[in-house]
Amino acid sequence: MAVETFPQTKKKISLAKKQRIQEAIWGYLFITPNFLVILFFTFIPVFFALYMSLTDWNILSDPNFIGLENYEKIFSDPLAKETFLNTFYFAVVSVPINVFLTLLLAVLLNQKIKGITFFRTAYYLPVISASVAVSLMFMWILANNGLLNQILGGMGIEPVRWLTDPKIALNSVIGVTIWKGLGLNMIIFLAALQDIPKELLEAAAIDGANAVQKFFKITIPLLSPVIFFVTITGVIGSFQSFDLVYNMTRGGPGHSTTVIGFYIWRQAFDYLHMGYGAALAFIVFAAILVLTILQWVLRKFWVYSEE
Amino acid sequence: MSNKNNPSNTDSVLAKSVQAIAITLLVFGAITMIVPFIWSVVTSLKSAENIFSHSAFWIQFPPDFSAYKQIWERIPLLLYAGNTLKVALIVSVGQLATSSLAGYAFARLRFPGRDKLFFVYIATMMIPGMVLLIPNFVVMRNLGAINTHWALILSAVGSAFGTFLMRQFFLSFPSELEDAAKLDGCNPFMFYWHILLPNSKPILTTLGLMAFQNIWNDFQWPLIVLNDESKRTLQLGLSYLMSEYYTDWTLLMAGAIITLLPIILLFFAVQKYFVQSFKFTGLKG
Repeated sequence: MAVETFPQTKKKISLAKKQRIQEAIWGYLFITPNFLVILFFTFIPVFFALYMSLTDWNILSDPNFIGLENYEKIFSDPLAKETFLNTFYFAVVSVPINVFLTLLLAVLLNQKIKGITFFRTAYYLPVISASVAVSLMFMWILANNGLLNQILGGMGIEPVRWLTDPKIALNSVIGVTIWKGLGLNMIIFLAALQDIPKELLEAAAIDGANAVQKFFKITIPLLSPVIFFVTITGVIGSFQSFDLVYNMTRGGPGHSTTVIGFYIWRQAFDYLHMGYGAALAFIVFAAILVLTILQWVLRKFWVYSEE
Repeated sequence: MSNKNNPSNTDSVLAKSVQAIAITLLVFGAITMIVPFIWSVVTSLKSAENIFSHSAFWIQFPPDFSAYKQIWERIPLLLYAGNTLKVALIVSVGQLATSSLAGYAFARLRFPGRDKLFFVYIATMMIPGMVLLIPNFVVMRNLGAINTHWALILSAVGSAFGTFLMRQFFLSFPSELEDAAKLDGCNPFMFYWHILLPNSKPILTTLGLMAFQNIWNDFQWPLIVLNDESKRTLQLGLSYLMSEYYTDWTLLMAGAIITLLPIILLFFAVQKYFVQSFKFTGLKG
């Protein structure tokens, strides 16, 4: 019999099989703790949130299934409309300014300049600072008799009600958001700039390209994937902004600074409209999903690729 | 442009003027970044009665430290700091442990369904946090974790992003070491513990720092799940201080500075890892 003729081979096979099973057991064992957290606090909650968005749950009484009523309500809710417009404005204003400034800063910092460590550190400080403390600092700077108005006063400019004028408050929140986020995208651009092969720029210089030409014909095309990425993540970030709005303006004056991140919180945890809040969150989720997929698909077309 | 025949001269003049403009812009930007912090410190060192009676540019000398004494009487700052530190440390260590184990398994061990599962992991990274606020609140409520620090800890001790990061790092780990360890009779856990972890200190430091900073600065989730004053984190305490004493700027600025200081000191101590973590944040988005 085969088994008796080649006992060693059989032993080897079963040993290898045993090792494979053991390795698999170790593998499952190792992912289990992390997997359970993801399962219970990310994976299942998404489906749970979807279900909640189809109910009228308000914590106090049992949920009733109401179908798409919450989603229909969004379209007839004037405050939701105002909120979406504010959010749209927030993204359209803050993201291009952020991308422009961070790219500019990265290009400037990429020169051989003395004291570069100091500059970098200065731009990082707001990034690591907690948003509550930043809100406090800027509420004082932007107060009616605060630093900014006193500086403007020194130049003969009338004081501006930065946080209490409904026409201006959202711009002020956007300004603080940009201030806080500059260092983050700057470092991403800086890393990308340092990845650009020096030979490419040198070759262009030999061919007679000046600095401006080099920048627009080589640097920008090579950076385009990063620019695209930073833009998309910036828009996604705008959709989720909450801390600065909550602490600086509580969505006011009126609803002038109520963006979607704040409105969802208000509906769900202030008014306890959990179902409606979940529906709003899902609309944003859908928008973010579309943007993320767009990023995947489009990057192949209009951004520069190495191939 | 007039010097077209002498490119080297034009270049050096151009380079110098570009440098001058660059430095001017950078200095202006850096001032914009730093002035809010300095202004907060200056304000916190004024006497409360001098806040509105003097111009903003006036600096009180000698400084008045009373805001830094008062704040401990107004809010239990030490308790808040203790709460925050406790949660931040548990989450950092927990996240490092679970993420490095899972990252190792995904990178180096073979088991059925591994790659499909990892794809699910990557997919969950795209789910925005705001979608999870409401269902996670309900999950925590059903677990009886609302108003306890468990609500901050449980959902944060595992991380898809951390796992992803660790996996990418472990993929590039030399396989000779692993083979040698196997020959020496090491099981996967012994290899992970004695060889992999000691050789992964930079990435572990970076990930730990990110987790620590996230918890330290987190505001929205603690706001949702904590009610009791005694359970508050520093950020929550500071936010409530603001709603209670909203015109007491010396006090508020002292509070802002006190809560910022630990992270800023940490930043200066391990700046390299912070910068690394910024790059990863880009990757995460």
